[in-house]
Formats: sequence, C-alpha cells, structure tokens
Amino acid sequence: MPMKGRFPVRRTLQYLSQGDVVFKSSVKVMTVNYNTAGELSEGARKFVFFNIPQIQYKNPWVQIMLFRNMTPSPFLRFYLDNGEQVLVDVEDKTNKEITEHVKKILGKSKEMLEKEERERKKLSNPATFGPKKYHLRECMCEIEGQVPCPAFVPLPKEMRGKYKAAMKNEA
Amino acid sequence: AAMLRALRRCRPGPVPLPALAAALGPGPVPGLCPGWSPRAVPARGRKTRHDPPAKSKAGRVKLPPPVDPEELLVVLERYRQHRLVLSALRAEFRAEVLQKKREERLAAEGSVEELEEHRRLMAWNDEENARQRARREERARKEEEEQKRRKLEIAEKQAKKMEAFMEEKEKEVLQLQEEAKNFITPENLEARIQECLDSPRNYNFAIDRDGRIVKRTVLS
Repeated sequence: MPMKGRFPVRRTLQYLSQGDVVFKSSVKVMTVNYNTAGELSEGARKFVFFNIPQIQYKNPWVQIMLFRNMTPSPFLRFYLDNGEQVLVDVEDKTNKEITEHVKKILGKSKEMLEKEERERKKLSNPATFGPKKYHLRECMCEIEGQVPCPAFVPLPKEMRGKYKAAMKNEA
Repeated sequence: AAMLRALRRCRPGPVPLPALAAALGPGPVPGLCPGWSPRAVPARGRKTRHDPPAKSKAGRVKLPPPVDPEELLVVLERYRQHRLVLSALRAEFRAEVLQKKREERLAAEGSVEELEEHRRLMAWNDEENARQRARREERARKEEEEQKRRKLEIAEKQAKKMEAFMEEKEKEVLQLQEEAKNFITPENLEARIQECLDSPRNYNFAIDRDGRIVKRTVLS
C-alpha cells in the first residue's frame, strides 16, 4: 500500500495524538494568514504543514482556515465565542515557537487536562461488565479470578444442572 | 349518552357477546407469538394476506373482549393519575439535571480567576506582538539602510564611469585636433603636392629574417 504525500508520517495516529495543544472551550475559529514564499514566512509554513493536523485532531470542533499570499506578513488570528479576536504575529518565528506561544495563551493547561481526564474516568467504572460499547469486558467469565467460560473449560460436575438434577432424583 | 368509545360494543345488540373461552398464552398460531403476550395476537402463520380465509371461518364474527364499564372507568382514571405523576416527576428531574449542568458550566467558564488569567495571557500576547513589531521595524530599518548604501555605491560607480568615459573622449578630441594640423586642406593642397614631389621616397627595401631593413637600391 503506497504512502500518500510528502511526509506520510503526518497521517499516522501516533503523530497526531502527540499534538499537545488543546484549545480552551471558548476558542471557535483559528485563521492563519501566511505566504508561500519568503524567508520570514518559513516558520508559519512549517507550522501549517506539520502542526495544524495535530491541532485539528485534538480540537475537532475548532474551525481552521488558511489564507495564502494575502498579506505581506504572516499572522494567526483566533476568534473566541465572546466576540474577542486574538492576534498573534508569527513573522520570523520557528514553528516550534509558534506552537509554544499558542499553547501558552489559548491552550488548556496540563492540570486542566488531567482534571478532565479524571472526571471522564469517574463516569465509567472499569470493574463492571456489559456491552462492549460501554464496558471493558462483556461477561463475568472474562474477569480474572472468576469461573472461566464453560465454552472453553467445562464446569466441574457439581456445578452442572444435569448432575444436580440427577443427584436430586437419586435421593 | 356520553359513553366512552370503548364501552360502545358492550350495549345490547344483534350480536351477542360470545363467551370467549380464554385461550390464554399464545394465540391461534402457537409457534409465532412472542412469549410475553397474554392474549391472542393476529399472526399470519402459513397464509399471506392475499389468501382467502378458510371455509370454517365463513360465519365467524370477531368480537373485542368484554369490558366492565365501572372497572374501565376506575382503571382509566388510575392510569391517568399515574401517568400524570410520572411525567411530572420526569420533567422535574430533567429540569434539575439541566439546571445543575448549566450552573456547572457557568462556574467553570466565568470564574474570576479564569478571567483574570485570560486577561493576563492576552496582555502577554500583546507584549509579544509589540516585541515582534519592534524587531520587524529594526529589520525594515536595516533593510532601508542597506538599500541606501547600495544606491550610493551604484551612483558613485556610475559617476566614475562617466568620468572615465569623458576623459577618453577628451583625449580622442585632443588627438584629433593634433592630427587636424597635418590635414590637407584646399589651401595647402598645392603646397603639399609640391612638397611630396620634391621629396621622393624610396620604398625599395629588403627585409631579412631578423626583421632588419636593408636599403640598397638607389632611386633614379
């Protein structure tokens, strides 16, 4: 199966999940104005090429728009839900610096992310079992320390209904 | 009279209410009914809807089950009240949950520290932009200086070139002037011709391998 594009690693799940910019819930739209030529726009170009897929993966509900060759200098603009617009000048910055900057001003902090993770964990109990959609295990027989599934390991005679009925009939 | 629709079939009429022998459990077709139905449910079984009914069913009159009017009234009233209470409870709980969610959301978003933090970050961002602007202006200024310097250099070079050119031309003009003194004009034509005739020149010479000229022949 051929790989698509110049840097197919950008399409892998591992790469995408390594993105660490998770926007706050108030950020709705992100707009990037950059130029396809010029030294000063190099960082912005790399940012668009390498980091925006990661950001979009982590923020599927944020609209990201790219504008090319419309302004002499590159910049980012964020539109928040209270109408505020945040302008970030990215001329002559490397893509790493840009991501750091963005993470600092509009990203969720590590503590917040961990807190959310913990909240999510609280909703579901890993000890329960049921449909695969909601639980880890489907049947009691899959849990360690419980009686194994009779489909794989036959039950001992004393637990089987036919033995017990036979015993009762005998007695 | 004001009667419930369900009681209409209970009035005396040409059709007597046959005592439907209760065939509890699965109805006419035992194989197909769902296990939980208490009464006969119409199920097709072997025939499709386009097949005619059997001859034995020719005079069959299907009647709904008999209904006791008072019991019906009581039961309906009870059900009405039960459903009323249940839906009220559900609405109550739903509203409560929504309220809680809304409060939580507002608390999470609009808390004072968060706004403060946001403002601080925006201020930092503005500073960063200002710094960037300073850097950009610096760069632009340097570029301008560079440009000016280059322009000056070019202008100098041009000037030098022009000077050199002018000098060349001057030299040529002077040389021409010098030569002009020896030109043959209509005035000194006669004189020059006479001069040439007076001084014969001898072009008879030989040249050896080393380039030395040997003149021996005498002009006659």
